[in-house]
Amino acid sequence: MKPVNFDYARPGEVSGALKLIADEGLTVKIVAGSQSLGPMLNMRLVQPDLLVDITGIEELRRFDERPDEIEFGACITHADIEDLRIPDVTCGALPSVARGIAYRAVRNRGTVGGSLTHADPSADWHSIMAALGAKVVLRGPAGERTIPVEDYMLGALEADLGPGEMLVSIKVPKLSRSARWGYYKSCRKTGEFAHAIGAFLADPDRGVIRVVIGATESRPIVITDAGNIIGDGRAERLDAAFDSHAVSEVIEAAGMTNPIDKQTHIVALGRALEQAQSA
Amino acid sequence: MNTVNLTVNGKPVSATIQPRTHLADFLRETLNLTGTHLGCEHGVCGACTLLVDGVPTRSCITFAVSCERAEVTTVEGLDNDEITRELRAAFSQEHGLQCGYCTPGMIVSARDVVQRMAAPSEHDVRVAMSGNLCRCTGYVGIVRAIQRVVEARRGRGIAAIPDGNRKRLGPSGSGHADPASVAETARPKAVSPAATKKPAKSSAPAPRKDTDWKPQTSFVQGFTVSHPVDVVWDFFGNIPEVASCLPGASLAGDPVDGHVEGQIKVKVGPISAEFLGVADVTRDDTTRTGTIDGSGKDKRSNSSTRGLIGYEVVPGANLDETRVNINIGFTLTGALAQFSRSGLVQDVAGRLIGAFVQNLEAKLSHKAAGGTGAAPVVAELDAGALVFSVIVSRFKALWAKMTGRGQ
Repeated sequence: MKPVNFDYARPGEVSGALKLIADEGLTVKIVAGSQSLGPMLNMRLVQPDLLVDITGIEELRRFDERPDEIEFGACITHADIEDLRIPDVTCGALPSVARGIAYRAVRNRGTVGGSLTHADPSADWHSIMAALGAKVVLRGPAGERTIPVEDYMLGALEADLGPGEMLVSIKVPKLSRSARWGYYKSCRKTGEFAHAIGAFLADPDRGVIRVVIGATESRPIVITDAGNIIGDGRAERLDAAFDSHAVSEVIEAAGMTNPIDKQTHIVALGRALEQAQSA
Repeated sequence: MNTVNLTVNGKPVSATIQPRTHLADFLRETLNLTGTHLGCEHGVCGACTLLVDGVPTRSCITFAVSCERAEVTTVEGLDNDEITRELRAAFSQEHGLQCGYCTPGMIVSARDVVQRMAAPSEHDVRVAMSGNLCRCTGYVGIVRAIQRVVEARRGRGIAAIPDGNRKRLGPSGSGHADPASVAETARPKAVSPAATKKPAKSSAPAPRKDTDWKPQTSFVQGFTVSHPVDVVWDFFGNIPEVASCLPGASLAGDPVDGHVEGQIKVKVGPISAEFLGVADVTRDDTTRTGTIDGSGKDKRSNSSTRGLIGYEVVPGANLDETRVNINIGFTLTGALAQFSRSGLVQDVAGRLIGAFVQNLEAKLSHKAAGGTGAAPVVAELDAGALVFSVIVSRFKALWAKMTGRGQ
């Protein structure tokens, strides 16, 4: 249970990190909180030549609040969000989800950028961030690009990163005061990865109705215009407007045919709607 | 080796260690602070939990070098800590420990609950302590002990501190080091494996859509056989014969219109993957080029691959020699994808092709010498020298853990 011998670098700038990961002659892994990579290193599933620790980069530990969104660096931890060291612009959605990730000791080091890049389909951030319409900012040799978070996971454990590219920040839109959200995950044991996740955002003032079916075998199923599933988002009880047949069809179209899997995911979304939260 | 400077239980510590040394090993092996216990060593059991910069941290999945200039407090450093003193008494009164193996981690996590949670219910305490496993007393005494200390402290008017007094952003233990001084610790480039040819990766990452699927990684290989172009080209039209040259490959039946089903076993060290899948084969007689578009799934590792192989058959440098140029593009997803960036897949592919060429030569020579029927297969894939040593069961266990699913 000891990792292979590797070299370690802790650059002070993103440009320094990009230089280090550009070396294709070496197996280079970026590490932030090491809460996912650490176990894989200990088990020698991953055997890098060089570990690039990006937690010393000040730019990745900052946040910037703007009129319509908040942008925060890749090295912001789950606990930073849980404890509101990052201002909440999501009517409580992000702090609430953060509180349910793994265990406090893991949340004190695990980072949002690391979790998104690790791209485990069962992890929480992919599902809730997709429901909120968040975006990720990637930087590489060709410059910077910003993509919706639901496009970042290509498949299980595979993020959309080109050669020499890394995630630098996450942009989360500010919800309006009328917004309601819900998040429900089905776990066998507290803190373990989920078997099914249902998440939604109904923000009628901004014209946003989004539904996410997460913890699938691959990337989350994201329905960006979910009016046919939960209505226009103005109903008093959103679970009353829930069309489980419509969501069932979407899930099946996405390739999930196992009836138990499908039902677990539909129920997760149903419970997210029952437990709708607002500001 | 890297130098690490830490404050451990209030005292400055400096040592030269390998970067792979996790914090728990550093404390136990270098500083002889054996109060920190190691159970699972992959962040599940919580026995190694200690305080870094004042907040609970898993020391088995936190590297010592990444905590440069941080403050580390182990259970030994909590002797005179007020909350811990109360917890020790309560654990004793409530029978909160038996063998004591989980206790250092339990105490650190319990201290966090007492410090941060204002009035937790029994359920709240159980949820908050769910990352610390006890295998002998169970949790009743532990939960009661924590509740007793919480109630006593709130009764004395001591308020909870929800953020545990942490004000800094980013992972606990990080951000103290002088960033400018560390980049040179990287290994000099001289060690780059000279033999590994770098993949010509597509610059624009493609979305996962079937119609415009682009391989994540692609690379070029080639070989020369000492037989005429026409013979080699004809041979390549016989899919079962070609498959029989590829170590570990077998077809499920005869090809129909260039569509085949089959499997390929790839053994790399102790890992073995068996990809079951389908392939479509096309060939163009005028340009003597062909493509093989295949996809497969290995159930054991829950990994999928899709690959597009293009090849062209051209005259070699000498008479009666043939050069075959191959362009291999592939995408690997799932657990095995952890390896796909390491150059290992190319290494395996290179070995496969090496064995393939030997078999191909043998078959062609057998035919040229007037032989009929099957030529003996001469080369098996020898991957024993490949660099990594992972046990498949561990791999499966990790996959199950990380996805929260059994196999």
